Amino acid sequence: MTEAARKRAFIAIGLLPALLLFVFFVIVPIFWSAYFGFFDWKGIGEMKFIGLANYAEALSDPLFYKAFKNNMIVVAASVFGQVPIALVLALVLTKSTMFQRFIRASVFMPMVLSSVVIGIIWGYIYHPQIGILNFLLDSVGLGSLKQQWLSDPRISMYALMVPLIWNFIGPYMVMFIAALQSISPEIHDAARIDGVSPMRKLFSIEMPMIWDTIKVAVVLCISGSLKAFDLIYVMTGGGPAHSTELLATYMYNNTFNVFRYGYGSAVSTAIVIISLVLVAGSQYLMKRKD
Amino acid sequence: MQHAVRTGTAKRSVSGGVGRKPWAEAVKNILLTLYALVTLYPLIWLFISAFKTNDEFFDKPFGLPAEWRFENMKRAWEVSDMGTSLVNSLIVTIAALILTVLLGALAAYVLARFQFRLRAPATGLFVLGMLIPIHSTLVPLFIILKKIGLYDTYWALILPYTAIELPIAIFVTAAFLGTIPREIEEAALIDGTGYWGIFGRIMLPLAAPALATVSILAFLRFWNDFAFALVFISKPALKTVPLSLSVFANGYSTDYKLTMAAMVIAVIPTIVAFLLFQEKIMKGMTAGAVKG
Repeated sequence: MTEAARKRAFIAIGLLPALLLFVFFVIVPIFWSAYFGFFDWKGIGEMKFIGLANYAEALSDPLFYKAFKNNMIVVAASVFGQVPIALVLALVLTKSTMFQRFIRASVFMPMVLSSVVIGIIWGYIYHPQIGILNFLLDSVGLGSLKQQWLSDPRISMYALMVPLIWNFIGPYMVMFIAALQSISPEIHDAARIDGVSPMRKLFSIEMPMIWDTIKVAVVLCISGSLKAFDLIYVMTGGGPAHSTELLATYMYNNTFNVFRYGYGSAVSTAIVIISLVLVAGSQYLMKRKD
Repeated sequence: MQHAVRTGTAKRSVSGGVGRKPWAEAVKNILLTLYALVTLYPLIWLFISAFKTNDEFFDKPFGLPAEWRFENMKRAWEVSDMGTSLVNSLIVTIAALILTVLLGALAAYVLARFQFRLRAPATGLFVLGMLIPIHSTLVPLFIILKKIGLYDTYWALILPYTAIELPIAIFVTAAFLGTIPREIEEAALIDGTGYWGIFGRIMLPLAAPALATVSILAFLRFWNDFAFALVFISKPALKTVPLSLSVFANGYSTDYKLTMAAMVIAVIPTIVAFLLFQEKIMKGMTAGAVKG
């Protein structure tokens, strides 16, 4: 075997297992769901081709819009909740003292818990009778603010935002700290010598220099929000009265509870399209004119 | 890098000290401490509640248990069949972890060190995979797994877990391998070491720090996964930890102390892993993101 052939063989054998596994279990399913979306199928029996009917049905189903709207609330809460909080924390947590490391670790901690555990804990916190939130309100004399946090359709979606935001601040904070630390000390020195105010420094120096990281964080927020499923499934299952329905729970319920595989597949495809459109849109909006 | 960071922060704290009042620093630290406590409280509450009686859980939610009841753990272990699900979680997690690290490192070595025509498209495909909300693959994967007879087996989790984790594993490892000088490789080639030898005897050991980061991130993801286990596993004998915990979720009449105790058993492995490998986990979260 020649040297070039040996190299080619190694490249092929080295890359193919990972590539095939990835394509077969991640990329192919996406195209399959687009394809299944054209069929009326209960999971068993005959698959009936119905063209775009599933897609059309999703677009005219008020529940689909409800789920979409709720998903947008999650996206907004993540982008405008997690990112700013993470950024503020990152700005004050760039040092490596014991104290700062402890705070960083604490903020990061929820990230390592299973979302099932988080869902159950927060389910208990919000519980109308035994929950510590209502108990706390009672004991500080604010009993009038007590709520049926998860069973009142008007507030359930907003109640869910708290654990959702709480859960994922850590990774964004760590990303921002790394980005801030990569700004060279000379720039800070120059700013100090020029007497730049802290606010001015933040908006004119630090923010622009970590803008690419912020863009990545927004992408992660968007694609992460569209996979918000576990927490909702555990805490409310999309209820009450579909008030906390998200695209993923809507897809799950249609597929695995009422056995409409074709329709569920069409919704899956819609999730991918929505995600890619949002990611592209956010990147376009955040493009800096330079 | 660590060195650069240190000097950077040292200089900054000097400059910060000029016009800054000590009380401002104190207020900041108090606020940070409060924030950390609020963040940690649900977890602290979980651990304390796991040792209470149901009455204590109900009457004194903020208090400590009168007596620390370790028997809750034992009962929870038996009631939720935690032994079985821990073994299942271990099997699935370790198998997927080994596959992820081996296949990921190999692909990363190829992508980081070789020039070939399909390099850019392959990289692009992996990037695309990271942007796709993974839950949108649940329905088609469920159907595929049924068709190929893997539904309700360990493989139904091992293979999808590996596939999902491969992009991040490849990018973290490739970024790291990119920093290793080419001379090492060239010298080995001249000495007659083949590519497999270079990969196994040089690249793998050198990439150990990156592979450690990849492993710990993958461990957390696999151990905590719920959605895939929910859809691809139905046999009680194959249930993973999050799946067997979820039976506690819907039921206002459940035994609170046992639920809390079962959750404590479930979170201990990840918390221990976090405390041991904090730096690696945090580094993994930033890898790839900073360079964008």
